[in-house]
Amino acid sequence: MDTNGKLFRKFLEREEKINNQFSIENAKKQHSKGKLSAVERIELLFDKDTFEEIDAFVIPAPLTTSFGKITEAYGDGVIVGYGKVSGRLVFAYAQDFTVMGGSLGSVHAQKINKIQQMALKMGAPIVGLIDSGGARIQEGIASLAGYAMIFKHNVHASGVIPQISVIMGPAAGGAVYSPALTDFVFMTNKTSYMFVTGPNVVKEVLNEEVTNDELGGAEVHSKKSGVSQMMYEDEEHTIQGVRKLLTYIPSNNVVNPPVVLNPEETPDYNERLRDVVPDDPNKPYDVKEVINLLMDVDSFFEISENYAQNIVVGFGRLKGQTIGIVANQPKVLAGTIDINSSIKAARFIRFCDAFNIPILTLEDVPGFLPGVDQEHMGIIRHGAKMLYAYTEATVPKITVIMRKSYGGAYIVMNSKNIGGDFNYAWPTAEIAVMGPDGAVAVLYRRELESSEDPDALKKELIKTYRDEIANPYIADEKGYIDEVIDPAVTRKKLIVSFEALQNKHVARPAKKHGNIPL
Amino acid sequence: MKLGWSSKKELKKLIAVNPGRKKFEFPLPFTDELKVNGKTSEITLKTDDKFGTYLLYKGKKFPVELLYKNQNRYEVLLNGVSYFFTIETPTSYKRMKFLSSKSDGNKNENLEAPMPGKIVELLTEEGREVRAGEPLLILEAMKMQNEIQAPISGKVKKIHVKTGQNVLKDDLMVEIHAGK
Amino acid sequence: MAIKSLLIVNRGEIAIRIARTCKKMGIETWGIKTSNEPRAHYLSHMDKIYDMSDEFSDVLVFLDVERLITIVEETGVDAVHPGYGFLSENAYFAQRCVIAGVKFIGPTPDAIHKMGNKTVARQIATKNNIPLASGTTHSIRDAEEAKEIADKIGYPVIIKAASGGGGRGMRIIHKAEELAQMFRLATNEAEKAFNDPSVFIEKYIQNPKHIEFQILADKFGNTIHLGERECSIQRKHQKLLEEAPSPALTEELRKTMGEIAIKISQAVKYESAGTVEFLLDQSNNFYFMEMNTRIQVEHPVTEFITGLDLIEQQIRIAQGEELKLKQEDVKLNGWAIECRINAEDVQAGFSPYLGTIEKMVQPTGDNIRVDSGIVEGDTISPNFDSMVAKLIVWGADRNEAIRETKKALAKFWIKGLKTTIPFFKIVLENESFRCGTFNTGFIENELESMHDTSEEEEALAAWFAALKYAEEREKEETNQVDFEQGKNINPWVLNKRLKSF
Repeated sequence: MDTNGKLFRKFLEREEKINNQFSIENAKKQHSKGKLSAVERIELLFDKDTFEEIDAFVIPAPLTTSFGKITEAYGDGVIVGYGKVSGRLVFAYAQDFTVMGGSLGSVHAQKINKIQQMALKMGAPIVGLIDSGGARIQEGIASLAGYAMIFKHNVHASGVIPQISVIMGPAAGGAVYSPALTDFVFMTNKTSYMFVTGPNVVKEVLNEEVTNDELGGAEVHSKKSGVSQMMYEDEEHTIQGVRKLLTYIPSNNVVNPPVVLNPEETPDYNERLRDVVPDDPNKPYDVKEVINLLMDVDSFFEISENYAQNIVVGFGRLKGQTIGIVANQPKVLAGTIDINSSIKAARFIRFCDAFNIPILTLEDVPGFLPGVDQEHMGIIRHGAKMLYAYTEATVPKITVIMRKSYGGAYIVMNSKNIGGDFNYAWPTAEIAVMGPDGAVAVLYRRELESSEDPDALKKELIKTYRDEIANPYIADEKGYIDEVIDPAVTRKKLIVSFEALQNKHVARPAKKHGNIPL
Repeated sequence: MKLGWSSKKELKKLIAVNPGRKKFEFPLPFTDELKVNGKTSEITLKTDDKFGTYLLYKGKKFPVELLYKNQNRYEVLLNGVSYFFTIETPTSYKRMKFLSSKSDGNKNENLEAPMPGKIVELLTEEGREVRAGEPLLILEAMKMQNEIQAPISGKVKKIHVKTGQNVLKDDLMVEIHAGK
Repeated sequence: MAIKSLLIVNRGEIAIRIARTCKKMGIETWGIKTSNEPRAHYLSHMDKIYDMSDEFSDVLVFLDVERLITIVEETGVDAVHPGYGFLSENAYFAQRCVIAGVKFIGPTPDAIHKMGNKTVARQIATKNNIPLASGTTHSIRDAEEAKEIADKIGYPVIIKAASGGGGRGMRIIHKAEELAQMFRLATNEAEKAFNDPSVFIEKYIQNPKHIEFQILADKFGNTIHLGERECSIQRKHQKLLEEAPSPALTEELRKTMGEIAIKISQAVKYESAGTVEFLLDQSNNFYFMEMNTRIQVEHPVTEFITGLDLIEQQIRIAQGEELKLKQEDVKLNGWAIECRINAEDVQAGFSPYLGTIEKMVQPTGDNIRVDSGIVEGDTISPNFDSMVAKLIVWGADRNEAIRETKKALAKFWIKGLKTTIPFFKIVLENESFRCGTFNTGFIENELESMHDTSEEEEALAAWFAALKYAEEREKEETNQVDFEQGKNINPWVLNKRLKSF
């Protein structure tokens, strides 16, 4: 080919133009806000030199009315393409705030649709790096239709390929629903925000003064609303986090998760596990310590760390194999289940089930959180979500009862009879309809009232209750527990049991889909 | 086509930043040299059966361990003293400096449990105005009833604890909103 | 009657300390194995063990008089040593031991009772012309009465639990407005801690020195003192560092205070080892505060400078022996300092730091003593106090003692826990500590920082943090994420999985 010829010159000219468009000047605009440019984000996400961009030279749809104007720029404000993350194919799009505020025009939307469809066809994860002012007003209905298409593809891909949204700037109005439909939402503190109606509207309608950050900042969504699962202090670490998450999850719902072996081995036998759970049933402790003692070194990756902290969920590895962990957290609200923790756990369980990730349940639950507030807000309906998710899940499911396991909460936490494959208990376990104090108060109210020394009687009754009912041995003898185990050997037990379950398959009745209580 | 306009940048250095915003820079790849007050000496990380993990620096041993790590936040225990750092790259350091230059200060103060214990008595309620130093609650710990005081003046926004509740260190107890 | 076997009703370092002396004296020791710490180190120092590790109770056995008496009967021991804390100053327990026919190593139940109730002790002191801070000799009914008295003696005042000790149930009131609330707090705390809400009031001596005298007294009325201990380095009335002798006492003042200490001991017919605590104000006026009717945590500093074994003395006295030592034979030799190395987070206001000791290397030397009930791998749990070890160092004079303590602290190696070691390092460097002018206000007034830090050490820590970060990133970059294994699915499950879609 004649590399000096006219045809090739045209090619080079375009190259130069696009290079200018993504110049240093352009990146500086983002830097001046403490943000990175779309290009830099893409580079951080993918393995070095592996990203392939497509549709770089498309141009925005022309204006059809006299209202507003359009910036002529290649790509229409979004970079789309594919590349390798830890050596695996991943699709991605990154909105460019420097082009018309990253607004979503019809061409912009088509590019995203295209990459969504490709990801689904290839069975590969897709990551959206979102930094957009919202729908492009000039394009009117075409822009809204674009959003609708994105949402539709989000829903179609749900449960088939993992979808991750990374909010790195504004995501306002209808735009928030794409992240909401995906599996994980990452946010960068202080420079990203999401809301359906912005501070201006809030001020107009309700006369309340509120900033972007207060209304829909990363802290709000990761601590209060639970919309976002992961929050980081800067974009670089946010994207590092996305890369890390991807090492735990499979490419699609057919294959199994990747395996990452850690040369530094966690001891299979650890006496420390005997001491983590205090004998005193009212003493709090940090269940994350138990998780870290069980999982491969440094492998626990917590999801929704700051939201509904009375339940801990996240991914870990057992001899390199990804495990989804659901654990009651006794140090927060005594580990009771409330509305938020039920929703948090249910969503996590369903993700694991959809993507062939076995589930480990670590149980120490005194019950559901009591209160008018919880009842009126619908703990019945929301608590049912977790019950539904556990029962519906067909992946391998193992439960370890560490201490308290009472009443309805016992049933919900992957009990044997809702489908736990292996249910183990530590000697500290108390399995019963309710705690000793409650049980004694209900059954012996009259005796206690008429007793001369009610305290002594109560103590006696509690002792009898513990000896005869609230211990793991009764459940073991009746088969509701597969084995009472020494805490020190738990890791070994889990590795062997999950290995035995790896080819588990359960046939469910054919249905369009279930009707989870929403 | 390939995104060819620049290629992934190599990380050249790391910056450890303490809570007082003091920074310590370390070139990458990591070296076993440490510069303090202009003087460079060799530093090595060692582990043996008798002493566990320690740093050897200028012929002296310093016991060291990582107490806590979350994202890029680190707490290091060295010679019995805790030090807190966030580890920044040149890019994230620039961002941190930029954002702190325009932040308008903390409007909310979160009062966290200074030690594990039990809430014996609440002395305030939500919505009440408090002065800095005013007792908010009594936390029983270390055999003592400890008075927990308001760190700033303002309004009690939310109380997260109840009488009789057990708390662990750093559990959020009271949120105070500064000013009106 | 010679004691042949002895039950140690305590745990940790003091149990070991008592067992050591018993071994020397040929006495068989019994220890109690509890469910809280069935693998505790102190058990390995006992000749025999009473195992009740399968008993779970809300009340710790060391506080359970009835249960302990059954143990005494079952083991058939001759004597009981209560150590410090727990039931060491419980007159009822001492009485029950007497009834059960075993020797309680300590004073008579009557002396414990009189000195244990602070209002009674104050009445005895008044009767014997012992100098006291002005205040009440009876317990206060309510906040109104408290206010009346406080107004009369003038602020600041201190409210103390009548049955108290160790800083619990104590509140200082600077202004009349604070009185009602503080009264409530003090009574609450006293009720919880001692089962007795009664409190009394005395004038609060601002920033005094805390000086205590070690007493030895036998059944024959021979009473001597073994000099004083300086315990002014305190935080919230918890002693952290003690030394003997005190840099503040002249020979003359020592003599005067020692005589007063003996006088009040004799007033209750005290026997065994005991401690008379005084407050010493800036003009060298001293006031009787209380008498502790047990062996003290800080007794080793006195042992170092007198060459005596106080536990041995306690046992001999209990056996009915007469004190061989006369007051004029007591010679104080050199200087001793004790640092209480507790598992506490000094940077977080001395809050208990729970965790496991991964490594511990203790300093050794002729003039160094380490009393510890903990070994590598042990866990500091919330069930017991947070003491890891007591480091006691002797020097020919105070400067040498300070110098040697600093060296010993530098060699004290603990990993896995935060301790008070960095705190002591900064105390020993402090000017006011070095010249001996410090008082109980030391921590609040003299220390700018609660722990010792250096720019150099912070840089080392930063280097370590950055190294860990770099390693983690490196690992994340180079980790072999094996996607192939995930595709390698057993056809049994793969076919069914595909069919179910």
